[in-house]
Amino acid sequence: MERSYQTTLTVAVLLALTAFAGAQTKKEYRFNVGAKATVSIINQYGAVIVRPSTGNFVLVNATTYSDKVEVDQTQSGNRIDVQSHLFDGATPENSRVDYDVLVPADASVTLRSTTGPLRAEKLHGDVEMEGSTATVDVRDISDSHVHVKTMNGPVTLSNIRDGHVEIDSVSGDVSMVSVSGPLVRVSSTSGRIRYDGDFGYAGEYRFNSHSGDIDATIPADASVDVKAQSVKGRVQDDVPMQPKTHTSFLAREGSSFAGTINKAASSVWLRTFSGRIHLKKRQ
Amino acid sequence: MTCAEFQRELPDFLEEGGANELRAHLNVCPVCSGLVASLQSIVSEARMLQDSAEPSPRVWNSIEIALRREGLIREPQPQVHRSILRSLTSRWGYASWLVPVAAMLLVGSAFFLYQRPAKNRRIADNSHPQIMSALPSSGNASDASDEQLLQEVSARAPMMRTAYESNLRDVNAYIRDAQDSVNANPNDEEAQQALMDAYGQKSMIYEMALDRSLQ
Repeated sequence: MERSYQTTLTVAVLLALTAFAGAQTKKEYRFNVGAKATVSIINQYGAVIVRPSTGNFVLVNATTYSDKVEVDQTQSGNRIDVQSHLFDGATPENSRVDYDVLVPADASVTLRSTTGPLRAEKLHGDVEMEGSTATVDVRDISDSHVHVKTMNGPVTLSNIRDGHVEIDSVSGDVSMVSVSGPLVRVSSTSGRIRYDGDFGYAGEYRFNSHSGDIDATIPADASVDVKAQSVKGRVQDDVPMQPKTHTSFLAREGSSFAGTINKAASSVWLRTFSGRIHLKKRQ
Repeated sequence: MTCAEFQRELPDFLEEGGANELRAHLNVCPVCSGLVASLQSIVSEARMLQDSAEPSPRVWNSIEIALRREGLIREPQPQVHRSILRSLTSRWGYASWLVPVAAMLLVGSAFFLYQRPAKNRRIADNSHPQIMSALPSSGNASDASDEQLLQEVSARAPMMRTAYESNLRDVNAYIRDAQDSVNANPNDEEAQQALMDAYGQKSMIYEMALDRSLQ
């Protein structure tokens, strides 16, 4: 009896897998573009991964998993718009589309997906990403604006050079490794903010969170003018610095500090309400 | 009359005053009365903002660009008279009123940002607290707005409701704490910046909830 049940279950699973595999459809769309193209991918559910192409073309590989969704795409000159189009009866499960996109490295890209994940790498055009629960990963980007918005999706930035970086996440953790530029701003309500890098040269860095912790790790040769303040959280620094005597806030042991390290090339401002702030030296 | 029926008639109610049936519903429904109070305070405060201190044209331009990019406003159609509230209604259905709430959060943040004083200028007048208290982020109007937003999220993407609920709770706590800091230290620019950031976060939640990706 039990053997018969197992056999039935196995057959059912195999049938389900076969049906799923049968519903999976891959399509490829190719667009020729000029310099500094604009590419927008709007996807309700599913991944969007963008990497550099080897020429002046955009190549979109889209995988759908049911007939409840189709891919709409248009080209207007140098602008490419791709959007998942949901039909009646679509659900997050059956309307997922996964995009793997190649764009010229100088293209500006806008990526949106509720669930994500979203990823962009090795580009030097502007990057804008938005997804409420989406995991966002941006890496190896230079000379660009990088703007990211998530609600609770975690954000990871790595190796961003000369970036104008603005990250807003309500509760997603934000992790930055080797991120520098004229402006790096991170705003969060309850997400943790982690930075590991040298804060570049002559940049302005503003990290603030309401209840999330802020951890910044810097090398000994970092050159910063740093201020940190928490209304109710603990503030700690393990880095030798020249204290500042004149600040815009009343410095209190354990809840704020202000000082300079080396030539104070970049300005760093760390602020929380109840989150902990910790500035430490890289070992 | 149900809340959905009332909200379908909401643009007419706000523009021309309502029929008895609408008023009767308003008297017995705290959610809809909170919503109407919120929208009416937006309208009156918007007039006050214009009278008291006109922000730079750049502010309005930036807001217009942002709204156009989001598809919330479009080019005018000369042959057909359509009020903005009516056009929003047709686009967003029952959630149409959330658009001005989100826009107000955006306008409030932008206004606050562009009205920030120079470093040494005293700002302990009563205009900012007035503006901030008018924003639909605390109190009953905010609760009603948030509840409506959550209902809309539940209708469109039920599995997202918990996340939105939790994030709204956190961001409302952020706004309360930031507001308390500003009240305690009205001249503290950083406290004002934190308050603006908090409103920015709430505005972002509303934007995401209204986003096409949830449709």
